[in-house]
Amino acid sequence: MGNLRHLEPVIETTALTKRYGEIAALTDLHLAVPEGSIYGFLGPNGAGKTTAIRLLMGVIRASSGSARIFGHDVWAEGVAARRDLGFLVTPDAFYPDMTGIAQLDYLARLSGKPPVLRDRLLDTLELGRDALRRRLGSYSKGMRQKLALTAAFQHDPALLILDEPTDGLDPLIQRGFEELLRDLRDRGRTIFMSSHDLAEVERTCERVAVVRGGRLVAEETVEGLKRLQRRTVEVTFGGDAPPNLALVPQVTIISREGRRVRLAFEGDLNPLLRFLAGHDVANLVLAPPRLEDVFMAFYGDDRSGPGGAEGTPAVDPQDAVAASDLVMRR
Amino acid sequence: MTVLRMTARLLRRGLAGLVALLLGVAVFELVNPFVADSLGGPQGLEGILRSLPPALQAFTKSQPEFIAVSGLAGYLSLGFTHPLYLTLASAALVGFGARTLAGEMERGTIQLALSRPISRFQVYAARVLGVVVVAVGLAIAGPAGMMLGMRLAQPEGTLEIGYFLPTALATLLLFWAIGGLTLLGSAAASTTGRVVAWATAALVLFYFIDYFATLWAFLEPLEPLSIFSYYDPSQALVNGALPTRHIMTLGLVGLGGATGGLAVFVRRDLPT
Repeated sequence: MGNLRHLEPVIETTALTKRYGEIAALTDLHLAVPEGSIYGFLGPNGAGKTTAIRLLMGVIRASSGSARIFGHDVWAEGVAARRDLGFLVTPDAFYPDMTGIAQLDYLARLSGKPPVLRDRLLDTLELGRDALRRRLGSYSKGMRQKLALTAAFQHDPALLILDEPTDGLDPLIQRGFEELLRDLRDRGRTIFMSSHDLAEVERTCERVAVVRGGRLVAEETVEGLKRLQRRTVEVTFGGDAPPNLALVPQVTIISREGRRVRLAFEGDLNPLLRFLAGHDVANLVLAPPRLEDVFMAFYGDDRSGPGGAEGTPAVDPQDAVAASDLVMRR
Repeated sequence: MTVLRMTARLLRRGLAGLVALLLGVAVFELVNPFVADSLGGPQGLEGILRSLPPALQAFTKSQPEFIAVSGLAGYLSLGFTHPLYLTLASAALVGFGARTLAGEMERGTIQLALSRPISRFQVYAARVLGVVVVAVGLAIAGPAGMMLGMRLAQPEGTLEIGYFLPTALATLLLFWAIGGLTLLGSAAASTTGRVVAWATAALVLFYFIDYFATLWAFLEPLEPLSIFSYYDPSQALVNGALPTRHIMTLGLVGLGGATGGLAVFVRRDLPT
């Protein structure tokens, strides 16, 4: 964790709202991103993530509410807000007629800070120096993404705003990149990232905000969210399954097949373990809590876009897997 | 410094096309003294103009009597009102203005600058500066090409070399007006194609108001609405005159367009 923390959050939004006529793309978003953290911003397509990021970057103007970065209003004081910021632009935004290295040099000059992290990034992302001498028109999607990441990070900004940073990266490079994020976090940098890759978020982020239908539906530490999640346990008894199993607090029986019982429980596991300790248990399968399950519960079968109803994390995650845009890659 | 750096980048991008258009303008004007010479000088041209129906005379924006009085300079000034010359110059200006603002919004390239500590004003100012550079380049290319043509062809007749300066200024003012209006359209639109369509429609409308107003009296009241009615390179090349009204009008149209574009750009939501 960073040693020096500001009392004020690095990013702070207050009732941030964006409407397009009758359509609310984002409603009353309250966020406070602490310094020296990796903060995940999650939601399915159309949930309002990109709208929020575009508002933070001053690309679009809020209909109401406010957004501040380093204490500066992102619209009225945009230059000050972006003074020590790195933003991951879409890879297609680069000038196709420039070489990769010319592009990086140009952006470093516009940032007004030397590209002190460039070499490390190029090594981490395995973007060869030879490739940098080629024009962007010859780059693959993955190479463009690596170049975009290098451009965002190279001047070692205090805050990074990243929209789907590992999109197009292969898993090995993705792990190296996550290591880099953690290292920057440890040096006090703040990273605000949206991602569809929940396993990546789980590995890297300490805290997440979840949006759905343009509204914030959860804001919690990753561990805290996982604790909220209803989990499943499969118990195989040595003899007949005890009839009073359903009486254990916070436990629901999902199915019985002979001596094998599938249970669901919420919250504290100990009452169930104490109950099982008094019986002949042949096998016990307890799946670890996964962030993916939490999100499946949040979204369930809801695919609503802006203006959709708020959700509650009460859906059986196993029933909801197919219904979500969110993906899990391990 | 940042604005200059961005302007240099914008000009470098699409430089080949811009240079080709500047060369096209220069070559077009270079050819005119040769044509004048081949037609037998002003007298020959006056005869040709007299043989044209009034509608075509209006298209050349000149009268046989004017050529008779103005001589070689009068004829050569037609090179600065010729539709091909205006088309080449407009293509350079509209192309630059549309590509560098609406085009960059369309591609998302504008994010590169706006994600840095750079204001929208600076981003826009780089485009205005670019338009000025293109307009100055065009204003120099035409007269420079014609001066070279004069030197090479040495046609019959006299021409005051110093009058190329007010001619260049007259063209610069027209190009500034076109550039300013293009920037306004480019700031409001979100695609290159839309800006090009708007600008082309506006320029064609301006041109034909100016053209038909010389043919049909009932259109005369509309003539002041066309920017081409404040563009008179004949007066500049023949007499060295550049009316203050023309300077003010074209200058203000360009400034109004550029300022209006700024007002739109700093307030609008950007696409992509």
